Amino acid sequence: MNDDATTVVADLEAGIGTLTRLASASVDATVVVVEPTLRSIDVARRAVAVADEQRQGLVVVVANKVGDDEDRARIDEAFAGRTLVVVPDDPAVDTADRLGVSPVDHEPGAPAVAALESLVEALGFAS
Amino acid sequence: MIRVAFVGKGGAGKSTIAGTFARLLARRGQPVLALDSDPMPGLPYSLGVGVDDHPIPDDVVVAGPEGGPRWVLRPGLDAAAIVDQYAAICPDGVRYLQFGNLWGHVVRLQQAQHAWSQVVEELDRDSWHLVGDLPGGTRQAMFGWARYADTVCVVVEPTVKSTHTARRLLSLSGARWGPARLVLVVNKVRNGSDAARVSERLGLEAAAVVPHDGTAGRADRRGAAPLDAAPDGALAQAVDALVDRVVSLYGLGEEVA
Repeated sequence: MNDDATTVVADLEAGIGTLTRLASASVDATVVVVEPTLRSIDVARRAVAVADEQRQGLVVVVANKVGDDEDRARIDEAFAGRTLVVVPDDPAVDTADRLGVSPVDHEPGAPAVAALESLVEALGFAS
Repeated sequence: MIRVAFVGKGGAGKSTIAGTFARLLARRGQPVLALDSDPMPGLPYSLGVGVDDHPIPDDVVVAGPEGGPRWVLRPGLDAAAIVDQYAAICPDGVRYLQFGNLWGHVVRLQQAQHAWSQVVEELDRDSWHLVGDLPGGTRQAMFGWARYADTVCVVVEPTVKSTHTARRLLSLSGARWGPARLVLVVNKVRNGSDAARVSERLGLEAAAVVPHDGTAGRADRRGAAPLDAAPDGALAQAVDALVDRVVSLYGLGEEVA
């Protein structure tokens, strides 16, 4: 696709398999989504390393479902120095998932939705 | 012997339940081998074993014969010897066999994957109960990585996305190598309607309903085994009941008490 007017947002399969198979420098930015669990952090660290190695644009880490200071500390320690967006653990998202609707439609003012505004900004789009 | 594998969408809780299941089965005095075919392994955390990278070494295989498999086990090594030498020892006596932990391109795991597959295929059926954990999603399951199992537990969260994946996984019953039994495990249930809604959507009664367990969940975040953090918690009790249920499917009620 060669169209400067269109932004492409791709949701890759879990893990790093698809990321390792992408051609080098094929995206402008890579958003690595991580939960504050050790196993998720472990996978996200690898994803960040692969994205850096393959020059997959700006790498932004989105810490999702962050519930307390302990969660936040675990994330800060693992991704120090990285562009980081923190999304709180939000029951509104849980409810939306159970209903099968978009969180943005279910509760546009939910804290998690608001937090993602800073992801949009981190990627260089004005809100 | 029981041969069970856990599949489901990422985040549904497969590893948490599989690891807890393996330990609770072992506590019944049974020999249990936990099998991990996830290149991003989560099973060590729920087993409570302090290993991360624990691959089967590449040198256990040698190039296979022309026209045959690409790699075969080195002469003199058999499945039992590999389990004995390379399966990690976990709490409650569970042994844990991992084909490897992916830090780069998947090609780096090919030899270990071949070794793992051959071991699983050749293991004596009377030696071990097998409890397997697959990666999230449908890919590995659809390609037959759970063919060692005659019972496949489809783990599902009460979300639409997780249920959608579960529906596809339940179609494994139609695969040539499909398991004898597919059972549904509904996880992270918060209220009475969660499990009923999933069962209704999938047209299948749940063999186990695992409640949301805050203590186990917090342990999971720290990388601690939920069974150690909350030994009598809601998750442990529900998985214990699942062990009984699966044991009964094999008619082993009296032997595995």
